[in-house]
Amino acid sequence: MAEHSDKPASPAAAAADLAAALLPRSLGVKVGILIAFTVMVIGAFIVYVLYARGVFEQTQRMYLIADNAEGLGVGTDLTFAGFPIGYVRRIRLRDDGKVRISVRVPVSEAKWLRESSVFVLDVPLVGAAKLRAYTANLKDAPLADGAERPVLRGDTAEEIPRLVASVRSVLENLDQITDTGSSLQESLKSARTVTERMAGKYGVLGGILGGENNARKVIASIDRANALLASLNGVALKMDTVLSKTDQRVLGSGGLVDETQKAVAQANAILGEVSASLKRVDGILADAQAVAGNAKAATTDLAALRTEVEASLRKVASLIDEINRKWPFERDTKIKLP
Amino acid sequence: MAAMSETSSAGAFLYRPRSWRRVLRFAGLATVAAVSPSTYSPQAREVAVRQIYYTAWQILPGYALVAALLGLLLIEVVVVSARKYGVTQYSLELVLRVLVLELVPLVTALYVALRSGAAIGAEIALMTVRGELEDNEETGANPLHAELVPRIAGAALAVAALTTLGCLITTWLAYVVFYGFTPAGLPEFTRIVGNVFDGVELAAFGLKCLLFGLAVAIIPAATALEAERGMMKSLPAVVLGGLLKLFTVIVAVEVTTLVVKYA
Repeated sequence: MAEHSDKPASPAAAAADLAAALLPRSLGVKVGILIAFTVMVIGAFIVYVLYARGVFEQTQRMYLIADNAEGLGVGTDLTFAGFPIGYVRRIRLRDDGKVRISVRVPVSEAKWLRESSVFVLDVPLVGAAKLRAYTANLKDAPLADGAERPVLRGDTAEEIPRLVASVRSVLENLDQITDTGSSLQESLKSARTVTERMAGKYGVLGGILGGENNARKVIASIDRANALLASLNGVALKMDTVLSKTDQRVLGSGGLVDETQKAVAQANAILGEVSASLKRVDGILADAQAVAGNAKAATTDLAALRTEVEASLRKVASLIDEINRKWPFERDTKIKLP
Repeated sequence: MAAMSETSSAGAFLYRPRSWRRVLRFAGLATVAAVSPSTYSPQAREVAVRQIYYTAWQILPGYALVAALLGLLLIEVVVVSARKYGVTQYSLELVLRVLVLELVPLVTALYVALRSGAAIGAEIALMTVRGELEDNEETGANPLHAELVPRIAGAALAVAALTTLGCLITTWLAYVVFYGFTPAGLPEFTRIVGNVFDGVELAAFGLKCLLFGLAVAIIPAATALEAERGMMKSLPAVVLGGLLKLFTVIVAVEVTTLVVKYA
């Protein structure tokens, strides 16, 4: 330092004198400014850091319960829609083996957290863990101070092996599907044949029926069916007239039903007669048995009775014939006699 | 001091436990004296102010320029590499942690050690060789109080002032590089600052700066006292030995804080 003289006598005083002479007069002021500036910057910075750490801000607490707090540290931000709205203040392992993460949220940011909010701990491959809050409905009741919520864990590193395994099986399946001779290949081949047929003369019909011949047959059948329908139409018309006539003949006055009713009445009367005759036969037979010895006397009676019975039977036979003639649906002409 | 006849090699000071013990004793005495108000007579205050003027004010423009250039360079390096590796969201935090908390105090200490540590060492060694300090003892004045402590206090204050200025410049540069000349990035910047500078970090940072300041001020002076009276030959070895010790201590302090913080 140049301000030192070579004279050893009273060196401090001499040095001070020389220094006063050599140095600028405003030295004290400059140094004072420097020191004051330094102190001000340090003070301002400390205040700024305190402000940045939220010391002057009112905060509310919330507790997140996780199974695993790996990757999470004190100071980790709680983000909502990508914006930090709070930070982890403390992480503690509870007695039940779960992790309790204390989060401080400034009161001004607490509006983003609602009763229905969901919290997710996301551990990416690169970088620190992220704590995210999702609020679906911002009109729900606000989250209370000191609320406790479970936190879901989305761990990329844990997901990867599972993902790789499933991707591998998917790829294997895909390989099998696209292999030569696989069902997909066969299906595609068949699809091609079908579409080729469809592009042929008979279009989609040929594709579906598997050949032009079949298609031609189908078309011919349709033509015939058309013709048949036309003739059926005529038949139906005729049927109509026939039916109306039949109606008249069968159900009209003097028709079939009428006659039948009469015949049935007659038949009733005749049957009554037959029944009476048979009773008499019964009586006569009883007599005949009783008077077997006197056959001669009985023979004359029997001859008369026989003619009577035959006449009755003839009447019945003619009646049944008549019924059969009038009743076209009955074909069984057998009559069982008693 | 007559016992120090073999002070021919500067490196010898590094491996001499007695020399380190002397530094420690001197550091204790000087620190106690520096915080006792009785030390600061008008004369001593004048010496301290002069020391601050030489150590801080005179080199202020050069130091600010170096800090700005070094800061800008490192911020750019961090920004470009962070973008390359896709970790841009951590780059500002990285800049604050590496540049402001570690590199600026270290560079400031080295800068002041080179610029003023050698000068202080040489001045006190010269006074020792001439016997000025012993003369003072004979006249009843305390050389520790009158000459050494004001210098030490001044140098320590100068280191603190320069470190503060350097941190201010680099922090401002980091903000400007990341967000430009708008206040739009302030909320995010504030949040990151809040994350980086927690209480422990700030205390460690302050302690480190204090240790750097004390080392820069005390070690060259303490080693210079080992110069032999009347032997100008011993002067270069003493000054160089002081610088060697100073660098050793600065590196040791830096490594220790890094190990404590990250290991």
